[in-house]
Amino acid sequence: MEKRLTKYRNAILLIAAMVFALTGHLRLAQADPKGVSTQAAPAAKLAIKIPLQDKSVRFAVIGDSGTGDRAQYEVAQRMEAYQQATKFDFVIMLGDNIYGSHSPKDFVKKFERPYKPLLDVGVKFYASLGNHDDPDDERLYKPFNMGGERYYAFRKGEAAFFALDSNYMDPKQLSWLDQNLKDSQGTWKICFFHHPLYNDGRHHGPDADLRTQVLPLFQRYGVNAVFSGHEHVYQRIKPENNIYYFVLGNSGKLMTHDFGEARERVKGFDSDQSFMLVEIAGDKLYFQTIARSGETVDSGELPRIHP
Amino acid sequence: MKLDACRSWLALILLSIFLFSCVMAQKGDEGAIKEFQDRIDNYLSARKKQDVARKPTDSADKLAEQKQQIAEKSQQARPEAQRGDIFTPAVSAYFKKQIQSTLHGPEGSRVRASLRHAEPLPDVHLQVNAKYPKNLPLQSTPPTLLKNLPPLPKELQYRIVGSALVLYDMSASLVVDFIPGAVPVT
Repeated sequence: MEKRLTKYRNAILLIAAMVFALTGHLRLAQADPKGVSTQAAPAAKLAIKIPLQDKSVRFAVIGDSGTGDRAQYEVAQRMEAYQQATKFDFVIMLGDNIYGSHSPKDFVKKFERPYKPLLDVGVKFYASLGNHDDPDDERLYKPFNMGGERYYAFRKGEAAFFALDSNYMDPKQLSWLDQNLKDSQGTWKICFFHHPLYNDGRHHGPDADLRTQVLPLFQRYGVNAVFSGHEHVYQRIKPENNIYYFVLGNSGKLMTHDFGEARERVKGFDSDQSFMLVEIAGDKLYFQTIARSGETVDSGELPRIHP
Repeated sequence: MKLDACRSWLALILLSIFLFSCVMAQKGDEGAIKEFQDRIDNYLSARKKQDVARKPTDSADKLAEQKQQIAEKSQQARPEAQRGDIFTPAVSAYFKKQIQSTLHGPEGSRVRASLRHAEPLPDVHLQVNAKYPKNLPLQSTPPTLLKNLPPLPKELQYRIVGSALVLYDMSASLVVDFIPGAVPVT
């Protein structure tokens, strides 16, 4: 009698497991695109390496994201899980926000749909322009919060952010940057734009001409951190002239085996897509770089270096 | 004594010729810049008559619709447009000289490296008053080069496609004019 009961119990458990697995599979298959679920990863699996201090400024960073491919959706899904746990309230975009054509469908497929869960909870996206972006359409696209400009500044708590258009750094933009950095009262000054000033990636390399034009301003006015994309990998660069540099161009695109000799980088990651979490609290900047797989590939705390 | 006087006269004449050619070249440059700016002003005033105001919007459909309207109206405003309307021979010669001096001047190696690292585009077929080639990225233009070219109003940009310097209308995504072979480094 007892043997039979165990048999039944096992059979029920087996059926339940099959139903659970099947419904999970169906849910994945129904999602967008090509079987990527829009559900966040379970919170229990998250390893959070930023301190989540009171009144800190918390944001995520993505670069070269707008492919509309499965990898972009999976990174977005991972971001959603971390947003639920860390409550970051904005995302900075390092350019190449929409690859290829810019039809209304592309804005949905390459931005609105993958980040819908984040947009739905009020997370704001602040875009900068890459070489694959349409400068006029994207500056006017309200969800990118560019205020109708190719370059712009905004403030979050003690941190001042400067979104630059590195595709077209004309004298007018340089003069705008000079004036806005000079006038900024932010304790932290953070610049973000597409083309990296320092870069160990072999595919593109650094933009030395851009560096010559903007670096003197960054140094003069005490910029603390710079985020760029373009190279489809993650890199943390050795601090140069009291400024921290990150390259994150793999939130959609990926260039595997892209690194040569480590000249500028302290940490590099080129085997999967990733995004960053950043928290600014007082004189510290905390960061965590998370791969699409969920693995934390880099993290740390950086003091504000006074100019 | 006579030989010395002749030598002095010769030096003076050569110096005068040199200064005269400098002044003439500068006047030539000023003329080319003025001609370019006049043509840009004419282009923009014709375009503005047709303009559709673009404002920030949540709707990508609206953006696409507005862009199409602007492109069509801009194209209609200059139905006879052809290469050289803006970049006339004199203006082209001035631009080529400026680009060459930037690429081969003291900052040349840095500018050339910037062009190589920018994801250079291949030479593609360009047509004046036509849409910028579909799905082709907009290669960045080195800041030092932008400093050495005449400033443009915010509606227009200098872009590099292959070896051509393109005058690009941002709102309409139109090729306003171009100089083939102006940027040979790419």
